[in-house]
Amino acid sequence: MKKIKIIFSSLVFTASLLMSTIAQAENIKIGVSFRMLSDVGYKHGMLIEDTVKMWNSQGGINGKKIDLTLYNDECKSEKGVANATKLAYQDKVHVIIGSSCSSVTLPMVPVITKAGVPQIIPHSTSSKITMTGSEYIFRVPVSSRFYKIVQGKFTAEQQGKKIAYIYVPDQASMVFAKEMMKYMKDEYGVDPVYQVQAGEKETDFRSFLMKAKAANPDVIVLSGLVDETVRMLVQSYEVGIPKSVHRVANSVASKVEVPTNAGKAAVGVVYSAAFAASDTRPIAKKFVKMVKSKYGVTPGHDFSQMQDLLDMLKPALEQVNFTGNLAADRNAVRDSIANIKNFTGLASGPISFCAAGSPECRDGNKTPVMIKYTRGGKNWKTAVAGTVTFKPSDGL
Amino acid sequence: MEKFKDIIRQYPFLGFIIAFFILMAIPSIFFTDLYQSHLSSLIFINIIVAAGLNIVKGYCGQVTVGHVGLYAVGSYTAGCMFMYLGASLWITLPVAILVTGLFGVAFAIPSFRLEGPYLALATLGGGEAIRLFIENGEFFGSTYGISSISQPELFGITFDTPDKYYYISMPVMLIAIYFSFSVLRSSIGRAFMAVREDPISAAASGINVKKHKMLAFILSAMFAGAAGAVYAHLPPGYIHPNNYTVIEMVTFLAMVVFGGLGHIWGGIIGAVIITIVYDLTRPLYEYQLFIFGLTIVLTILFMPKGIGGFIDKYFIDRRFKKKQAVADK
Amino acid sequence: MLLKTKKLMKAFGGLKAINKVDFELPKNEIRGIIGPNGSGKSTFFNLVSGVYDPDPGSYIEFDGHDITEEPPHKVGELGLARTFQLLRLYQDMSVINNVMSGYHTLVPYRFIDAVVGRKKIWDQEKVIKEEMMDLLSFVGLADYAEMNASELSGGQRRLLVLARAIAGKPKLLMLDEPAAGLSPVNVDNLMKILMRLKEKYGLTLIIIEHILKVVMDTCSKVTVLDHGEKIAEGTPSQIKDDNAVIEAYLGKKMDDEEMRKALAV
Ligand SMILES: Nc1ncnc2c1ncn2[C@@H]1O[C@H](COP(=O)(O)OP(=O)(O)O)[C@@H](O)[C@H]1O
Ligand SMILES: [Mg+2]
Repeated sequence: MKKIKIIFSSLVFTASLLMSTIAQAENIKIGVSFRMLSDVGYKHGMLIEDTVKMWNSQGGINGKKIDLTLYNDECKSEKGVANATKLAYQDKVHVIIGSSCSSVTLPMVPVITKAGVPQIIPHSTSSKITMTGSEYIFRVPVSSRFYKIVQGKFTAEQQGKKIAYIYVPDQASMVFAKEMMKYMKDEYGVDPVYQVQAGEKETDFRSFLMKAKAANPDVIVLSGLVDETVRMLVQSYEVGIPKSVHRVANSVASKVEVPTNAGKAAVGVVYSAAFAASDTRPIAKKFVKMVKSKYGVTPGHDFSQMQDLLDMLKPALEQVNFTGNLAADRNAVRDSIANIKNFTGLASGPISFCAAGSPECRDGNKTPVMIKYTRGGKNWKTAVAGTVTFKPSDGL
Repeated sequence: MEKFKDIIRQYPFLGFIIAFFILMAIPSIFFTDLYQSHLSSLIFINIIVAAGLNIVKGYCGQVTVGHVGLYAVGSYTAGCMFMYLGASLWITLPVAILVTGLFGVAFAIPSFRLEGPYLALATLGGGEAIRLFIENGEFFGSTYGISSISQPELFGITFDTPDKYYYISMPVMLIAIYFSFSVLRSSIGRAFMAVREDPISAAASGINVKKHKMLAFILSAMFAGAAGAVYAHLPPGYIHPNNYTVIEMVTFLAMVVFGGLGHIWGGIIGAVIITIVYDLTRPLYEYQLFIFGLTIVLTILFMPKGIGGFIDKYFIDRRFKKKQAVADK
Repeated sequence: MLLKTKKLMKAFGGLKAINKVDFELPKNEIRGIIGPNGSGKSTFFNLVSGVYDPDPGSYIEFDGHDITEEPPHKVGELGLARTFQLLRLYQDMSVINNVMSGYHTLVPYRFIDAVVGRKKIWDQEKVIKEEMMDLLSFVGLADYAEMNASELSGGQRRLLVLARAIAGKPKLLMLDEPAAGLSPVNVDNLMKILMRLKEKYGLTLIIIEHILKVVMDTCSKVTVLDHGEKIAEGTPSQIKDDNAVIEAYLGKKMDDEEMRKALAV
């Protein structure tokens, strides 16, 4: 009796599985893999689910329903690769959205390329990803190759070229300062007016700041970890470097500790991103309001990029004539995404792709936005300081 | 049937040959897509790690929470040998096993003085230290990871897709299991258990406790090293420190606990079930951690010896009843 | 002499648990060790078997080997087996595995053969298992071979530790209160089995026992410890009449009647 029960229930189970696959045969399938465990990551997943639900309730894409499969990859390459393989071969999706971490997206590329599934990246910035030359990969965010030089370009064009550098021995802090010096030399032929590497675990930077002040710079680059950056900013006012001298920090400037702890000294410091919540365009204001009310957070560029991605993907899918031949349909989706030109959404600049599997074609957003602090302390505030537009081949 | 059982018991090697041919045939009969091959390879890799962990934790009773660090050592030995020397799996696998075995020695030393939670802390520190060392080491590719690690070639075939790589991971797993069975079913396995149950009593029986602890750590480290190397070369051949954190360690432990600590099949059963269940619950990612936590807690509460112990109990009870029935007659 | 100690000493802090004990035991003897609680009997076993390190100046010799500094497993390898007052059974192992791990030092195959899993291992394992099953039948536990040791009753456990200690075919077997907590019937049974085992394996025995009757009946010679010191040694009847012993046990002299009662427990 027990045996019969087991056999019966497993039969029902397989049958229902079969039914569901048959029922889905006609639909367009989107697979998703990214980090969905952290609070914000989870909300990105909800944004996709809600958006696709809305598409379906509005009649789908050319009358076809969309099936969404969401997997979490926990920012682990092992999970990401497994997800990509599963989405490609078992779930047979037409397009993959993912992932968050560059270290996960990078190994996914060979998998989806071999399988012939187009993949659009919502978050990963590593320039290596598109440099693999895959024809199936598309990136919505700004590539790290642009982020690497955006501060230099912005500073040179809008702040001045007489630059003093103070940096700490930490790897990232050192690289930031050195890269910027090199960029200034290569692009504009200028040398630093002053440069110094502070000692490890230095807390008092005033003697360096005095010397920097004596060099009378337009700009002073203060490159350190969070705490050191805060100290250098505060101390730069203590030694009397005037407000008119622009303070530049590395990417740690985007962390909330900088304006919170540096207070007034953070005012005027800029950082780069692909979207500013303080963007005053109506579309941006509307989006920020929507996310705040629906998901309870102020959206950063991870949120806006996901929204842009979905807004780009829908018309691209509408251009595709689905034949039922999976490989052909996937290639058609790929070609349709590659056709996207000058999409203007929430991102700081237009997003364009082209046919070749090259970074020039597949790093969609080439216009990072510079965001500056207009108020320090607990209730810090930001505003858009300007945008920098790159040529497709810059930074390669 | 009885006769067949006897033959297998006498020539365990035969059992593995049969298992090999069955596993060789499975993909072409049952598999419908490449992902099943990929998942199989992951299962095989997990089996190797869990079988090793079962030796040191299940049999020898040494609490180690740093095993994932040894798995990382295996992966990165293979990864670095590929990156700097262009070595293929055929070379990196044995080297990774040896190198990880050496690391096993370092993990064994604290077990001479520490027990239980203290040993757990020490090994946890060791495992995390390895990961942090890799993460901060330029030489190891730090947070970029090592990519495009090559797939092995044999008889002109390159095992560069999941379906082909199945035929690499599967035999390695079988060989590992074979060694684990041989060791555990011999007097060494018994000595491990004696050390686990009561080191003082074991010593009185002439069992060298330190030597056996050392042996257990080295053996299990070698298993982790083999698994790490096989994982490193798994297509697309990418390794990253994020895959060797405490979460992975807990998963490995869950496999051994669920399968049955100290049961010869324990690690294997656990690795198969947990990997498959994890895969089936992929779409339920919101609840996955909860499901896993619950499984471990419930197992420990209601099935302290895991599935393996459960099965054993069933068979022993049955055998006992049979005997009694005969006696009653 | 099979076992010899000279000036054996062990202090825990200020407490001299064993104090300058000279002890000699020829082959084939059954020696009893008695003494009040805390007199150092178990400590004596622990020193001889290497569980504790003796204090400097001590000397222990077993079967012609100086074992003063040897670790416990070396002592075990030389053929000195023992049981523990607290049994130290392998609770979570089957009964047969308990006994088979006692055979450890006699296993004929090498480590490398085991790892490679050569066929001869399995043949030899089969032989070992059969031999150990015989031993289990001898002590009456064969039916429980596949059971977990933790499922055994108190009396069975005592038989199991006995079997485990004998499995390694020791030259000397030291038993720490083997009959403690058993009912008189079980005590008799245990002692009967023990005597048969001694015959069969040609054992030399040292027995620590609280039940004086057991000691008086089975031992050819008795050593008495008190406060870590050896206060008397002799045949049971000599010991019975030794004033120092009587004082150590009861703190006063007894008349014959009282004496007989005390020893008849
Ligand atoms: N490991 C130890 N640490 C401290 N004191 C001990 C230890 N082992 C035994 N002792 C002490 O040594 C004395 C002798 O103990 P023991 O040999 O167990 O006596 P018994 O004759 O009852 O077996 C006791 O006072 C006991 O408290
Ligand atoms: Mg005692």
